[in-house]
Amino acid sequence: MTVTFRLNGEDYRFRDDPMTPLVDILRQEHFLTGTKAVCREGFCGACTVHVDGEAVPSCLKPVGLLHGCEVTTIEGLSSGQEALHPLQAAFEAADAVQCGMCFPGMVMSLSAFMRDNPGACRAEIKSAMVGNICRCTGYERIVDTVVDCLDTHRQTTETAGSMNV
Amino acid sequence: MAQSVERSFTVAGSIDEALAARQQGAAVLAGGTWMMRDPLRGVDLPEAVVTLHRIPALSEVEVDPDHTVIGAAVTHAVLGRALRGLAGFEALVGAAVGAANPGIRRVATVGGNLCTLDFAAADLAPALLVCEAMVEMETFDGPKLIGISDFLRDRPTLLADAILTKVHLRRDLIASAHIRLPLRMAGDYPVAIVSIAVDKDKRFRIAVGSVEAVARRWTALEKALADEPGGFAPNPERAAELAAENNDFHGRDGTEADGWYRRQVLPALVKRGVAALLKTEGQA
Ligand SMILES: Cc1cc2nc3c(=O)[nH]c(=O)nc-3n(C[C@H](O)[C@H](O)[C@H](O)COP(=O)(O)OP(=O)(O)OC[C@H]3O[C@@H](n4cnc5c(N)ncnc54)[C@H](O)[C@@H]3O)c2cc1C
Ligand code: FES
Ligand code: FES
Repeated sequence: MTVTFRLNGEDYRFRDDPMTPLVDILRQEHFLTGTKAVCREGFCGACTVHVDGEAVPSCLKPVGLLHGCEVTTIEGLSSGQEALHPLQAAFEAADAVQCGMCFPGMVMSLSAFMRDNPGACRAEIKSAMVGNICRCTGYERIVDTVVDCLDTHRQTTETAGSMNV
Repeated sequence: MAQSVERSFTVAGSIDEALAARQQGAAVLAGGTWMMRDPLRGVDLPEAVVTLHRIPALSEVEVDPDHTVIGAAVTHAVLGRALRGLAGFEALVGAAVGAANPGIRRVATVGGNLCTLDFAAADLAPALLVCEAMVEMETFDGPKLIGISDFLRDRPTLLADAILTKVHLRRDLIASAHIRLPLRMAGDYPVAIVSIAVDKDKRFRIAVGSVEAVARRWTALEKALADEPGGFAPNPERAAELAAENNDFHGRDGTEADGWYRRQVLPALVKRGVAALLKTEGQA
């Protein structure tokens, strides 16, 4: 079966078993190894990618369901050559990353969450991270960084807003 | 990566197409969050699957003043957003937004949650039991409408030649609550689940999930509450006492918890449920 979808902004055609989990195609065919296959059960979140803008586990996504979809991986968020996503930059600045295994998934889950919930409070941020396990248990620093990042974003928009008045 | 497998993968555009594929032996693939884990359990993925996500009528939630219809392919996340703030649906919203984790809730469907035969901890099951939902199926012999209790009990036979298409709800509840007990704060399956509701005639409906293999109404407790002199005036402590006296559950042993524990926590969950109902009614 042939499945066509967009992967990090480029057209991609897959011809093989439609029940292949997306994570395997990303890692083994495209060498997009930022997406991690850790539990393969939907519990850890290390394989999170965006499908049509929504953060979902790629280990449980059969590629056959992706026909016509837009898939973005951590590599698609920023290639590293250009400016990082603000959340990636904030994590780097706050030195929030320990071993880094969970971070691609954290960034994919939380970047979509921040886009949809710019006014989120600490408890809401924690609820959004429920499906992302950090084995180094650096949770509080991650939450602190998201709070700071949202504050900075709010201040920037308010300043821009007042300048427009 | 999976080796080249000759697999039949039908993306149905209509219920008729889905049923035709089903008749050819295809298994329904909804969100895939349960099915995709089959290989980890040593079970092969089905050789033929049919998807429902391109059938528009199955991906909608229709909310009318006295009737709500939920398509089988609606995800937990969409369901939670569609019913949020509607009086009486608090338990169903609680189940939809509290189950699993956010990534799974964006993918896992109502149909998948109700049709996974070997999953006892489905959050939507007790929540729909207190709604007295009706389940619509498309069978090889035509459409069929059946109460949720009967559906849950008989689904191994029913689903052999059917697809769950829709869930129908009346708007006859004043308030409801969904109380779940995971062992950690989040992420694992709930050890026990209690959904509780009060209808327009002030009758209580209570359902329990995850304690036994299949979720069911707690009719003994419902009767005890109704038999209270003057009717049951919501009181969390008294509800817990009656729950302990009428605990007729046989807890199932499982990896997360032993059966006795699942059974033993029920009165505490009922107490929390009645307290939550009082809070909701207070806000109304
Ligand atoms: C990490 C994790 C945590 C979870 N935690 C919870 C939890 O706390 N609470 C909870 O309730 N659930 C939980 N679940 C289970 C989850 O809700 C189910 O995996 C999900 O509901 C299945 O839905 P799906 O759409 O992905 O179904 P699929 O995996 O696509 O299908 C599951 C089964 O249902 C059948 N099926 C699906 N739709 C239909 C239909 N319309 N008609 C007939 N048959 C159908 C399929 O053939 C298959 O046998 C968890 C799952 C994961 C992965
Ligand atoms: S590898 Fe997908 S959730 Fe863990
Ligand atoms: S930083 Fe090591 S797992 Fe999260």
